Amino acid sequence: MPRSLRAPSATLAFSILLGLQAAPLVGQAIGQGFELERAGRYADAAAVYLTTLRTDPANLPALLGLERVLPQLSRLAELLPLVQRARERVPENGTLRGLELRVWAQMNEPDSLEAAARRWAATSPRSDAPYREWALALADRRGFDEARRVLLLGRRALGGSPATLAIELAELEQRVENWEGAAREWGHAVAVLADLLPNASSQLAETPVPQRARVVAALTSADAAPRARRLAAEVLLGWGQATEAWRLFEQSIAGPPSPEIASALRRFADLAGAVSTPAGHRVRGLALSRWAELVPSPLAERARAEAVRELIDGGDRVAARAALERLAADSLAPADAKSMAEAALLQVLIADGQLDAAERRLDAESNLLGGDDRAALRLQLARARVARGELDRADAVLENDSSVAGIAQRGWIALYRGDLAGAIAAFRGAGPFAGSRESATDRTAMVALLMAVKGDENRELGTALLALARGDSLGATQGLRRVAGQLPPGSGRVEVLLLAGQIAARLGGAAQEATAAQVFQEIVSAGDTGAAPPTAELEWARLLVRQGRPAEAVQHLEHLILTYPGSAVVPEARREMERARGAIPRS
Amino acid sequence: MKRRDFVRTMGAFSLGGLLPSPTVPYRLLPSLLVPMDDSQTDHLKAYGLTYRVIGAGLKAEWLLNYQGGAFLLPDGDAIRRDAALNGVRAEPVDAGRVTAIRGDIESNNMDAVPLEKAPKVAVYAPPNAAPWDDAVTMALQYAGIPFTKIWDPEVLNGRLKDFDWLHLHHEDFTGQYSKFFLIYSGMPWLADMVQRNSDTARRLGFQTVPDLKKAVARGIHDYVANGGFLFAMCTATETIDLALAAGSTDIAATFADGTPMDPDADAKMDWSQSFAFTGAHLEPNPLVATFSDIDGHQVNAGPRRQPLGAFKLFNFSAKIDPVPTMLVQDHRQVIPDFYGLTTSFVRSRLKPGVTVLADEEGAPWVKYVHGDLGKGTWTFFGGHDPEDPQHQIGDPPTDLSLHPHSPGYRLILNNVLFPAAKKRELKT
Repeated sequence: MPRSLRAPSATLAFSILLGLQAAPLVGQAIGQGFELERAGRYADAAAVYLTTLRTDPANLPALLGLERVLPQLSRLAELLPLVQRARERVPENGTLRGLELRVWAQMNEPDSLEAAARRWAATSPRSDAPYREWALALADRRGFDEARRVLLLGRRALGGSPATLAIELAELEQRVENWEGAAREWGHAVAVLADLLPNASSQLAETPVPQRARVVAALTSADAAPRARRLAAEVLLGWGQATEAWRLFEQSIAGPPSPEIASALRRFADLAGAVSTPAGHRVRGLALSRWAELVPSPLAERARAEAVRELIDGGDRVAARAALERLAADSLAPADAKSMAEAALLQVLIADGQLDAAERRLDAESNLLGGDDRAALRLQLARARVARGELDRADAVLENDSSVAGIAQRGWIALYRGDLAGAIAAFRGAGPFAGSRESATDRTAMVALLMAVKGDENRELGTALLALARGDSLGATQGLRRVAGQLPPGSGRVEVLLLAGQIAARLGGAAQEATAAQVFQEIVSAGDTGAAPPTAELEWARLLVRQGRPAEAVQHLEHLILTYPGSAVVPEARREMERARGAIPRS
Repeated sequence: MKRRDFVRTMGAFSLGGLLPSPTVPYRLLPSLLVPMDDSQTDHLKAYGLTYRVIGAGLKAEWLLNYQGGAFLLPDGDAIRRDAALNGVRAEPVDAGRVTAIRGDIESNNMDAVPLEKAPKVAVYAPPNAAPWDDAVTMALQYAGIPFTKIWDPEVLNGRLKDFDWLHLHHEDFTGQYSKFFLIYSGMPWLADMVQRNSDTARRLGFQTVPDLKKAVARGIHDYVANGGFLFAMCTATETIDLALAAGSTDIAATFADGTPMDPDADAKMDWSQSFAFTGAHLEPNPLVATFSDIDGHQVNAGPRRQPLGAFKLFNFSAKIDPVPTMLVQDHRQVIPDFYGLTTSFVRSRLKPGVTVLADEEGAPWVKYVHGDLGKGTWTFFGGHDPEDPQHQIGDPPTDLSLHPHSPGYRLILNNVLFPAAKKRELKT
């Protein structure tokens, strides 16, 4: 771990003290000093440290103790001759040299500080320590420009390699909020030492948004090293810019395979795991696929199977198929990897609309799949059949499915056939929690609608809802209005109309919006009781807001709030009213 | 009688026991009680409702420490309608209940303060500022309290006398564009800020923006000295005091006025001119977006940055110290802290006589302070947005409809209603 310019020198000194206090003879006395220091009795602590130095002039813990306590007593000047005397005894001790520099800096003697640092550099011409300690002493006194000058001076004196003192320069630039400069220096540092990548990446992750583009540009300039590009990729990934991160990362791993590239791919995949967007899944899948090519079995097969899942979640079916083909061709693949791959392949087939092929494969290879995977895939297949209007085949797919999700899906199929009683029974059987929150809410809302409609059968309602499930919203709206027209008041007419209005409003376009407004008006003016009128008025107001008519929307919302104070939509109506009035930001 | 006299008078009477208690005329007509404890459904809008009631010429009362600082309003259809539309819980109470409430107030650390005049509110903000830039503007908009935006020309042209209450937010009165000049160099919003300020300075006859801002700070100082109420948040708190104390000393970096900060600026500061702070050391580095050691948290100062804790509101004697009591009315006593360019105020930098309204226990800083100046009063509240603790430039705006019970925003709105409180008559 590189020494940080941010680490206060006293902390460092304290660590050294702890490390050295085990020495038996001096330990007791130093321990006393430490206890006194801890108790805030600085003068007494200083006396103990000074006593120790009388018998052992180069005692480092005592000198460092004095560095901590004498400034509190405004007696720092006493420390300098003690440090110089100790340094003369052990001139090769870097800690003493560093202490001398810090004392000069604290005494605000820049010329003496420089002279001492140059003397040290002359005795250790190949060491970067004199420049680092010199810069640290200056930076601790907020002399950032001088610290930078010293570090650059050291870099030149030590041969001019950009990597020399790059970590120190990077941390200094960060300290003065020059993130672009920090990035450039981290780029130099990682170019020679790959192990620094995690530290550099976590430091640069804190870059404020306005400076991020410049940080990336600094790391990806024409002459940037591959590792600097990799650093840029990691930083971008941390900011959630997965696709751009992968583009840079790919450039950085060009060349023959190596353990470093394998480890970089694994790290990139792990980091991408924290990005939950589709792009994050996709790049994780891509990284795992590439990693799989560099590692032995069974790691490779497991990685490929995981990659397929990620690529599907990321919407990249082409890459997913490619990975699947490699996996299928691999006779060494372990069973769990094969199972994962089979499930992924079936997902791809269903998503591509190859339902017959998916069904055949699901029957033939079902022994490869786990129970949960099999049930989930059957459900997907049934939904895909419904979307094509193939209700009988959807039913057949679910024939032996007794899961709650399967029961719920059978409820929808019954509903689309017009079997309202069967649908209600199935939805109730599935309960209110099966599937996702959204699907559970949809089911509950539908039960409420069907109970309002009354009657065991209504084929036209089923047909209209099937049209909706198949994506024919226009047909669904027309069908639902027709159904509503046939229902007597108090028998679900306004509820069905509300659904028609909501679908029309979602469709957008002048004609559909006019239809929606007409439907909402009809519901509100009917003066019915129940949940439909306030919901319709809220939807109406939202439509008006979208049409740029906020004043009219506010009128409706006020009417809603005052007329139906007990309605569950009142809080939403208030929020919509605030938005329409411009009192809260649009989100 | 100016506002500060009102404060003194209230204290004097309560101490001397010269008035019958409770010290306001009894309201025995049917009333609406707007509770401000956890039973309230929208704390922030309750302030707006009360403001509109007194704005309509009706009388209201602020029941300090009673049910979280409840309001007692006259009953009426229009007020009930307003409360219903805004989701504010308002309970009808008959004369008997009002009498019981007054009994409670009399026998506890509570008081009833009449609210009579809706203060005219001004918000100091550049003409192009979005409403979501500033917590107070957001609170006022959400509560439905009208306000007028003013900026440098209005302050220097004497328009402040038209307002009872002035709010400052994250303006940098040192004229250094919040010291973002170098860090955010090239950003369009910063370029616009620089252009707008430079143009205004030239138009108003000032050589530099720091000169302009010092004059504006002086104008605001005079406004308070003449009886105005000032409420400041975030970096306006610290920088207005730095600008006032600087006088003719150059405390601005080269990028702001073409000359470096006076190296002896620290020694030349005249703290007798400031509102709240004294003895502060200025930040000399133009690259560090912090102004001085007044702020305890130093959010943009790298290793000096301190983590957020929680601040605690002080308890005051409602009958003896009604003003600080009004300012700390809340349904929560401990509130999570939130960053701003100036987040908090180091205790050792506070002038003697400044009233601390909230602090972080055990920390060397306080959060919320109040004081008098001439005939007026000022309140400083550190931080940027009580519901966005880590606020960063470019963050999405806070939607207050998701925070209707925000205890931090309540403190802001206490300040808005505070000038509405009626001064009590001196009977000697």
